[in-house]
Amino acid sequence: MAVRANPNLLKQLKRYGADDVTKCFHCGTCSATCPLSQEPFLFPRKSMRYLQMGLGDRLKGNLEPWLCYYCGDCSDQCPREAQPGETMMSMRRWLTAKYDFTGLSMLFYESRTAEVAAIIVVGILSGIGFYLLGALSGGDFGSYPGFIPGHNAEYLTELGWDVKSVVLVMAVFVLGLLGINVLRMWWFTTGSRKDLNVPFDIYMKHILLCPWHFFTQKRYSECDKKKPWVVHIILMLGFVALFAVFLAHMIWQDDTHAHTYLGPLAGVMLVGASSFALSGRLNKTEAHYKYSHHSDMNFLYMCLFVGLTGLAQHIAGRIGCGAFANFMYILHMMGAVPMLLIQLPFTKWAHLVYRPHAMYFAAIQADVIAGREGAKGASAVPHKQSA
Amino acid sequence: MTTECKIGVYVCSCGTNIGKMVDCDAVTGYTKNLPGVAVCKSYKYMCSNPGQEMIVKDIQRYGLDRVVVAACSPRMHEPTFRAAISHGGLNPYYLEMANIREQCSWVHDDHQQATDKAKALTCAAVKRVPFHEPFDMQSVPMNSASLVIGGGVAGLTAALELADANQPVYLVEKDGKLGGNLARIDLTSPYLDSAKDLLAERICRVTKNPKITVMLNSEVESISGYVGNFKAQIKSNGEAVTDIEIGSIIVCTGFREFDASKVGEYGYGRFPNVVTSFDLEKMLKEGRVVMKDGKTPKYVTIINCVGSRSGKYNRYCSRVCCMTALKYANGIKSAAPDAFITNLYTDMNAFGKGCEDFYRRSAERDTIFMMFDKHAPPTVSAAGKGEHFNMLVKVNEILSGEEVEIPADMVVLMVGMEAREDSMNVARLVNISRDKDGWFIESHPKLDPVATSTDGVFIAGACASPKDIPDTVAQARATTARILAKICQGEIWVEPVYAEINEDLCSGCRVCNELCPYSAIDYDPVKKRSAIISVMCKSCGGCVAGCPSGAIKARHFTDKQIFEQIEGVLEWASSRA
Ligand SMILES: Cc1cc2nc3c(=O)[nH]c(=O)nc-3n(C[C@H](O)[C@H](O)[C@H](O)COP(=O)(O)OP(=O)(O)OC[C@H]3O[C@@H](n4cnc5c(N)ncnc54)[C@H](O)[C@@H]3O)c2cc1C
Ligand code: SF4
Ligand code: SF4
Ligand code: SF4
Ligand code: SF4
Ligand code: SF4
Repeated sequence: MAVRANPNLLKQLKRYGADDVTKCFHCGTCSATCPLSQEPFLFPRKSMRYLQMGLGDRLKGNLEPWLCYYCGDCSDQCPREAQPGETMMSMRRWLTAKYDFTGLSMLFYESRTAEVAAIIVVGILSGIGFYLLGALSGGDFGSYPGFIPGHNAEYLTELGWDVKSVVLVMAVFVLGLLGINVLRMWWFTTGSRKDLNVPFDIYMKHILLCPWHFFTQKRYSECDKKKPWVVHIILMLGFVALFAVFLAHMIWQDDTHAHTYLGPLAGVMLVGASSFALSGRLNKTEAHYKYSHHSDMNFLYMCLFVGLTGLAQHIAGRIGCGAFANFMYILHMMGAVPMLLIQLPFTKWAHLVYRPHAMYFAAIQADVIAGREGAKGASAVPHKQSA
Repeated sequence: MTTECKIGVYVCSCGTNIGKMVDCDAVTGYTKNLPGVAVCKSYKYMCSNPGQEMIVKDIQRYGLDRVVVAACSPRMHEPTFRAAISHGGLNPYYLEMANIREQCSWVHDDHQQATDKAKALTCAAVKRVPFHEPFDMQSVPMNSASLVIGGGVAGLTAALELADANQPVYLVEKDGKLGGNLARIDLTSPYLDSAKDLLAERICRVTKNPKITVMLNSEVESISGYVGNFKAQIKSNGEAVTDIEIGSIIVCTGFREFDASKVGEYGYGRFPNVVTSFDLEKMLKEGRVVMKDGKTPKYVTIINCVGSRSGKYNRYCSRVCCMTALKYANGIKSAAPDAFITNLYTDMNAFGKGCEDFYRRSAERDTIFMMFDKHAPPTVSAAGKGEHFNMLVKVNEILSGEEVEIPADMVVLMVGMEAREDSMNVARLVNISRDKDGWFIESHPKLDPVATSTDGVFIAGACASPKDIPDTVAQARATTARILAKICQGEIWVEPVYAEINEDLCSGCRVCNELCPYSAIDYDPVKKRSAIISVMCKSCGGCVAGCPSGAIKARHFTDKQIFEQIEGVLEWASSRA
């Protein structure tokens, strides 16, 4: 089937950061250099091709950008400075926008103003919300006493509202969105491909790959450069820890253990890793820090903000400044909520969900292709007839 | 006569080139006992300085009067050894070479047989050489005027270069104006400077220069004579004939473009907005790139290698069109900044100075390059109803493995370069040869790229093969260096090896007149005898064998010499029996 070249795709992808892709003249050095490129996914050259020619459908069904961890080796080697690593990164942004059915992701990626405005609006709303919540619950979130004294706590209880329910609603909303988008991703890359026709047992065979890659980032560790992987896994574990603190706080109301040990640890990890990455991006120290899309910067600023306010709140609480701790708590939430509502489902943070799924789908595809080729190979060997 | 000669024989092993297959000592052992051989030696590299000095010393020490070198082909080192023996005091034509490399070691795989053949050939040379006669180089005067055929950038440059050296030039141009194909071009790749600027200065200087006689609407009718002394008739405006005398001729007749309508799948002639490179040059010159309906195209597809590098049309690469296509990509981008430009190519030929950078810059301006297999060219068809463009180009894109459809408002065909339709006549006129594609053949593709097989006739520019402007100009200047060198010498030295007609034996049948491939034989209608113009004769021997009266003798290849050579081979055979 013939595919139609679409000149506008190139223009569109420029808004996602693919500025240098037309310089590529397809020598293939990048695919030969990439430590992660492996049959049947030889990248990044072919993705560069799809993009240059504007083959949007091919690109939409392409898992390869997710298999790249942006070590930047290919960009270093490219004779044309076509920045294949950055192009793969911009394709991940574009894919995130394509997977998202609401169109908000596209809006936030294509316009910095939109992303920043959304973060600010959600941040302010949640600030107001938490302030009221604090006020209504007698100036006490349960953690640090003594914030806004003299309010009527009864009112909130009458309403049947508490932080837990708010979180629950938010979680359902975000998970629902991501769930639908992952389904779309599956359809674009695997489900709609008639040539694959994946049997159910192969889906089951690889199902553990998703959590495995999520927690270990094993593939990232296979890059020749190890530092980016270390930074990334610290950032990622920081979030996991934070999430654990959050769950403990919200669901089991256990604040002593989680807050005392895990909270500060998570804060330090977040602040450390994000300030390292931020300074890297600002000083363009490494290949993968050279080009920064607004979504990258916004994400890191938010991480830093959430980390710092979290730490400040903790320290204030420990030294007995309850009022300041609660104030920090609200700031902390003003960062955390937009991250969860904007950046997790729609922009930078969404890769957290898509990447492990891409590994999963890629493993499935590779399995099907290998099986088919194995079968072909077998039939190519003539059967010896026994005499 | 034989016994009176003192012959020195030198057997070369050419490193291992000869030695590994031919037993050189055996050849020496056999040869030194032959009658007339005064000394016989073998050596590793005869052509080296010590090898040559050995010959020179032996000539003096043994009083040699003939020398045989059994080594490589005479094409390779005959001039070397001729110079060596003349250094030793002998006439250079007292040398004979036996080719025991190309004809023995390189073509045989049996040591014994190769050695036997080497012995036979050496023996033949020893038998022949006593019958060699001494000759002196001959000289003819050199006319300093030149004829330049073709007034393109090659012809203009050559004419100016000669005139600047104060030599008279006749510039004959078929067309009504000077400039050739370059006059049809807008900007030039890779630096995008204007062709008009390049040309205007040349043309202005040519027309003003008193040393240059420009003859427009003119063609060369006939040419006779030989190097340094040609006569030509020029016909102008279809009638007036001018006779001129010149010493050298430079052919600069250029190329013509491939006829795009031959390639059916590109729809040239069928779709109004499928245009050739020259059509586009015209638009670019006018500063407006527009479709037939006057609108600016939004999608432009440029297809390379039209008529070139193909099994069906011309097999060769036209060399300039890849960079010209980039030039168009840039030109169209400037004229229509919103246009989406795709360039379909088979291989990107960015060979010259500044070209790779030009390629890169064009890519940076968002030209999309797609590669196709030259055996599966793209096709152009009308777009479906309701599309916002008017044609669809389909291509099997190699680098993605996809069959891609590209929207197109305009398709530009990069037509290749071809030899001109009258190149055969021009070749006959000046007596040079053409290759299978019709391009004029140079004397040596690497070492002598502007001379031809006819002394005094040179070729420059796109008439010899597709070329860009820098190469064309370099060649034009090279021809003039060759000519000025000859003019400086004042006379021309030519080999004294040629055929001679014995007037007493010639019956005037004129058989030889037609046989000579170099038109070296004149017929004297008064005497009713043929005569050979020695400076034009290449000593091919055609007339010698063809003359029914046996009236022609070739110097240095007399019957006696050849029969003795055959005798030599037979003598070796009988010595074995
Ligand atoms: C579409 C196109 C674009 C190009 N663009 C570029 C470019 O951007 N940069 C670049 O470097 N090169 C370019 N070239 C190549 C360039 O055109 C040639 O290198 C150059 O024109 C060769 O010059 P020439 O004098 O050898 O031949 P020509 O330009 O062909 O001139 C030959 C002249 O001889 C005359 N003539 C022919 N036969 C006879 C005869 N029998 N008697 C008398 N006169 C005769 C002709 O009328 C003509 O005037 C381009 C070529 C094409 C086809
Ligand atoms: S991105 Fe660079 S290295 Fe990769 S194929 Fe293109 S030019 Fe070559
Ligand atoms: S950035 Fe690294 S992982 Fe990504 S394609 Fe390039 S070499 Fe491969
Ligand atoms: S120069 Fe380029 S377009 Fe022209 S024939 Fe050669 S490869 Fe084809
Ligand atoms: S072929 Fe012989 S006989 Fe006839 S014209 Fe020529 S030289 Fe004279
Ligand atoms: S030897 Fe050859 S070149 Fe010389 S006159 Fe005879 S035919 Fe012509």
